[in-house]
Amino acid sequence: MNSLDRLIKEKLQREIQAKTRRHFIKDCVAGMGGLALGSFAMSCNSFLGNNEKAKIALTERDVNPLASMAPPFPAKVKSVIYLHMAGAPSQLEMFDYKPTLHKLHNQACPQSLLEGKKFAFIRGTPKLLGPQAEFKQHGESGNWVSNFLPHFSKVVDEVAFLKAVNTDQFNHGPAQLFMHTGSPRLGRPSIGSWVTYGLGSENQNLPGFVVLTSGGKTPDAGKSVWGSGFLPSVYQGVQCRSKGDPVLYIDDPKGISRNLKKSTIDAINNINKKEFNEYSDPEILARINQYEMAFRMQTAVPEVMNINNEPEHIKEMYGVQPGKESFANNCLLARKLVEDGVRFVQLFDWGWDSHGTGHDTAVDLGLRNKCTEIDRPMSALLLDLKQRGLLDETLVVWGGEFGRTPMQENREGQEMAYKGRDHHGDAFTMWMAGGGIKKGASWGVTDEIGFSALEGQVSVHDVHATMMHLLGFDHEQFTFDFQGRPFRLTDVEGHVIQEILA
Amino acid sequence: MEVIQQLIGRLHPLVVHLPIGFIITGLLLQWFDRKNNEWSKIIGLIFQWAFISATIACISGYLLYTGEGYSFDTVKFHLWLGITTAVFSLLMYLRLLVPSQVHFLNRLPVVLLSFSLLFLISFTGHLGGNITHGSDYLIEPLPNSIKTLLGVGPKVYEMPTIEEENWEEAILYTDLVQPILNNKCVSCHNSKKEKGELQLEEENGILKGGENGAVIESNDPEKSSLYARLILPHDHEDHMPPKDKTQLSKEEIDIIKNWIANDNSFDKKIGELGLKKELFRAFFPKAKDETYPDVDIAEVPKDTISAIKKKGFHVEQVSESSNFIRVSCINKPTFSDKDFDLLSSVKNQIVYLDLGETQITDGIFEKLSTLPNLTILKMDNTKISGNNIELLEKLEYLRNLNLMGTNFEEAQLDHLKRFKKLQIVYLFNTPIKKPNQADKPKEGEVFFDYGDYELPKIATDSIVY
Repeated sequence: MNSLDRLIKEKLQREIQAKTRRHFIKDCVAGMGGLALGSFAMSCNSFLGNNEKAKIALTERDVNPLASMAPPFPAKVKSVIYLHMAGAPSQLEMFDYKPTLHKLHNQACPQSLLEGKKFAFIRGTPKLLGPQAEFKQHGESGNWVSNFLPHFSKVVDEVAFLKAVNTDQFNHGPAQLFMHTGSPRLGRPSIGSWVTYGLGSENQNLPGFVVLTSGGKTPDAGKSVWGSGFLPSVYQGVQCRSKGDPVLYIDDPKGISRNLKKSTIDAINNINKKEFNEYSDPEILARINQYEMAFRMQTAVPEVMNINNEPEHIKEMYGVQPGKESFANNCLLARKLVEDGVRFVQLFDWGWDSHGTGHDTAVDLGLRNKCTEIDRPMSALLLDLKQRGLLDETLVVWGGEFGRTPMQENREGQEMAYKGRDHHGDAFTMWMAGGGIKKGASWGVTDEIGFSALEGQVSVHDVHATMMHLLGFDHEQFTFDFQGRPFRLTDVEGHVIQEILA
Repeated sequence: MEVIQQLIGRLHPLVVHLPIGFIITGLLLQWFDRKNNEWSKIIGLIFQWAFISATIACISGYLLYTGEGYSFDTVKFHLWLGITTAVFSLLMYLRLLVPSQVHFLNRLPVVLLSFSLLFLISFTGHLGGNITHGSDYLIEPLPNSIKTLLGVGPKVYEMPTIEEENWEEAILYTDLVQPILNNKCVSCHNSKKEKGELQLEEENGILKGGENGAVIESNDPEKSSLYARLILPHDHEDHMPPKDKTQLSKEEIDIIKNWIANDNSFDKKIGELGLKKELFRAFFPKAKDETYPDVDIAEVPKDTISAIKKKGFHVEQVSESSNFIRVSCINKPTFSDKDFDLLSSVKNQIVYLDLGETQITDGIFEKLSTLPNLTILKMDNTKISGNNIELLEKLEYLRNLNLMGTNFEEAQLDHLKRFKKLQIVYLFNTPIKKPNQADKPKEGEVFFDYGDYELPKIATDSIVY
């Protein structure tokens, strides 16, 4: 602190010391009068007798912010499982088969393609990189899936592909924010928050919006990708862990028994009830509810997050590794959560950023291992939901924040030892499955090397509009007033993608 | 000169209140004076002024009619009644003040003249209001229920539609552009009203344009005021339709834009113009949602719903616009057969019932058979074995039945095959064995999903590259 700061501080302190009761009364004449008037007005409220204060018409939402509400339009699904591959998986090694790219392998990329494009790492003129996987058509739909995903290729008839999703972001953080909040900048609510705000939660013992992460890191954009933005914070995602305590600090502290905890909460709630009888503030009721819900969650959450009690054949189908943090565990948990009435389950799996800077990020090596990691669990998730009759009323969405280039990455203009691809948002693949989705559909076609869309280009807003549509919302009418204008998830854009709807 | 005419015309709404005031005053005085008959001189004078001001009002009204493009059909009753009012004021004046000179008037009863004038000012005034404010102005704020009683119902614009199968065959102008104009523009721009001297009822009017010239600049929508005014901010004074009128939807505006951008042809088919299908999606008739029964059903009172919620059920309308409800016991695992009676008040509305993981037994089927509209029924992970399941056959809408994780018996499956609308039955984790070769169900046949899906181990599962 320099001397000027000290001087100013001292001056302020002197001023405060010089203030007397006289000043207070003098300065606050108007304010105190107002306060007094307010309390008069309250005390002679002619509409409510003193005993009837508690009968103010409260909506269910006033008391319980997670109370469920009917959607404006008939919904096709009541819950969502969103599988996000953080880092952006390569569509060219998984779903988007480009034989021409194979033929052009190692040829210099034509300059016309590069003009006006921004890349994160590619400099100068890169070479085209042929697909590093073998492709085949699968199922009755005849959709293409690579040999990196042998299990998924057996359930391919359940899903609908979007082959030409477009994003204008080419760095992970903004692109992930865009994918989950509809804006590449901070401050907007995530899809899960919009959905829990709009529909509430069916199960009153569990959070409405649960987030599970795997791959060792959380997404680059941070926890804002499941944040509630300007919506009340009760609608933000609750991160649960498949390893250790499912929710941090969920256990009672040592030496505090369950009964003692219950009587503590009862005592607090009694005081709060008295407070409510006096002031009739619905916030107090909401708080009472939150205490009770937290108490119930203490038993309900560990129960639903425990995968050990699942039968052996189910665990094998998913390929779970109990006690570890894995995508497989999270897929099984996602099913359990949806089965128990959780509205929105968000999975993030980290490690898909295949730049080719090393073994783990090579599209022919590390990427293949990542594919093996998700192949069995996500296929098992679809089959398990199906056999339980849940796939009819659940929407499963798979995707990354963008796609990858048909060109091999040449970081700093140098040729690299491993084969990798740079970030590319012009056209990449996502898929959806579940209620209201046209099974085996494929919408969107990319050019011969998979660089841009030829037909059926859809935007991130379109994907959001489609998800909202299936949940029973018109994305153009589902708004929240903030800073003087109504905001919506899709801002001023978005069209429902009819081509993949049943 | 024209300016002065227009100005005087525009003073009409002000001037008309003078004769109204005089006449009302005169009538009131007549009422108070009905017994004594002492004030007839004053009253006569008032009606003299009523006549003079009514005449001025008639003149200004006529100038307004000629200057602002109202058609004669719209104003004729108001015009004639206005003149009649002036004449009746004159008659009243003559009757009261100069009886000796006009003999036949002496035989006219004053009361008749008074009531005629009362009727005339009320009705003329009302017609005048209709012209300036629109004929639905007065009844617009009434609740819709009363409007329906009056037989005027809320105005509902139906979007024009074209068939999805042969959308390229539709003629852009005839099938979409003109119907949109009819719905949203023609009520002011027609041959009667002709606001801004513009008629949008048919081809000639549209091409002729309005007081500012043509409204269409072929192939340049931005320069065509027919389109450009639609996309101005709503509170801009040139925005059309005026901001308190029904606006065009985004899709409708796009149609107008594309029509102008493609030669504003009056006879070409959509296919000939080479427009994209996306543009017309909003105009395809919406496929009927067949998720739930297509029957009208009464709304469940809000307090009934909260009473059921208080009992621990999860209850929710299917959507804000549907009276059907979904009921789930997700927060009420103690639900048993006898608790079913708690739901009797909403029997007709339940279309979705989730009794999964509850204490129900086979005794529940008899009760369930009283839910006429039940479409989706979940009884997974319960103790039911399927005895008496045939009772559910009379549920004519039952489509989706979840029996997963129950002790459902194979012998009962035959009953299910007879259910009319049943499409899928989930049998995973039941004692029933999965048949070795499951045939694909034929159209209209129930599909039994035995579950037990497997993802057999393969060599690549354990390879790490």
